[in-house]
Amino acid sequence: MDLFEPTRQAFALLFSGDATLWGIIWISMWVALAAIAVTAPFAIAAGFLLAKLKFAGRRVIIVFIQALLSFPTVVIALVIYLLLSRRGPLGAFELLFTPWAIMIGYIVIALPILIVFTVSAVQGGDPRIYETARCLGAKPARAALTTLWEVRFAVMAGIVNAFGRVVSEVGCALLVGGNIAGLTRNIPTAIALETAKGEFAQGIALGMVLVTLAIGVNVALAWLQGRGGLE
Amino acid sequence: MRAPLLRVAALHMRFGARVLFDGAGFDLQAGHGYVLSGANGSGKTTLLRIIAGLESAQQGTLHFRHQVAPASRIPEPWRREIVYVHQQPYLFHTTIEKNLEYGLLQRGIAAAERRARVSEALRWAGLADKRDVPPHKLSGGEAQRAALARARLLGPALLLLDEPTANLDGQSRKQVLELVTALCIDDHTVVIASHDPEILRLAILERLVVADRQIKLDEG
Repeated sequence: MDLFEPTRQAFALLFSGDATLWGIIWISMWVALAAIAVTAPFAIAAGFLLAKLKFAGRRVIIVFIQALLSFPTVVIALVIYLLLSRRGPLGAFELLFTPWAIMIGYIVIALPILIVFTVSAVQGGDPRIYETARCLGAKPARAALTTLWEVRFAVMAGIVNAFGRVVSEVGCALLVGGNIAGLTRNIPTAIALETAKGEFAQGIALGMVLVTLAIGVNVALAWLQGRGGLE
Repeated sequence: MRAPLLRVAALHMRFGARVLFDGAGFDLQAGHGYVLSGANGSGKTTLLRIIAGLESAQQGTLHFRHQVAPASRIPEPWRREIVYVHQQPYLFHTTIEKNLEYGLLQRGIAAAERRARVSEALRWAGLADKRDVPPHKLSGGEAQRAALARARLLGPALLLLDEPTANLDGQSRKQVLELVTALCIDDHTVVIASHDPEILRLAILERLVVADRQIKLDEG
């Protein structure tokens, strides 16, 4: 198969400002970013508490959340589909086949990733951080924020990982989003559709956007890590 | 006789089957300096951490400034009065100035006063030229001096120092010793857990000995 021509067409599509293509990119970005923005505060707080508090069953909860990491996203999508479908318990909200349904799926996928990375960051961090903050008069919430700030690069790695996972996720977006053009069609579902139709140019263009996003986010993280070290 | 600044009473502390304190008690007078001595593993660090609220004792009470609290959980306001400095202090990943400012920010001190107090503390610790330096560029002795300055500038009623000269040698140790001595002379109430013979010899310090699961003031 000739890769050159579809790739040339892909660049042409991207740089011509093709409205359909950029509309798909926009849907992907805002749904994924909104899902991470909504999930991160709760997940990071939960991760911190799981790492710091000692209570019965804590270990079981951590293992359960870790197990959720390997849970098939298509099964998560199926459960959300059943919940949001017209006869489902949340059917009255009419969210199925809307970007909100995809966002709910993304939240469920991102939640365990963010919690696990935060637990790992806090447990792997220096225990003296929280103690020092407390000894200098910080209240528990402030000391928690100080601790999270000190281990921020490990927490940010979780955010980057969760973003990368949801922005490239196809099963959930397809099942609960319905791949509706202009409404729920995002980068992964569009790639799947265009490839099936033999329209490789748009698929390659969207694939390049995804790869650029992944590299860009990681470069930004590496840059921030360098700045954090005050080198 | 004046009421003590801090009274530790009927303290019981164990880690698993290992009993560290069994009904231990002692008083600390305001403005006095104490050196806490005892064999390795006798519980010196644990005792300081209990007083600072970093460890929970199984039983016992702490009396501080006419208030009583269980030795398992000190009241939140005491944390503004009792400051503990780790054996290897942790400095936040920012500048030394911001490290020193941290406790003042928690107390809602205004910016102008913060700057003045931080500048004075940096001069006191001989770190005036390290204001904008990140902690990883400090030597062990400088980091310890920064931590001492960070604790001192908060004006705590009780300062707890855990082995401040451990892991230091030569000039670094001498400089930290000078600061520790200055703290004791300046009427701070200080408890220093230490094995350092020079600290143990400081005539200005009263000696608390941890042995046989008890804590005794050495009258000799």
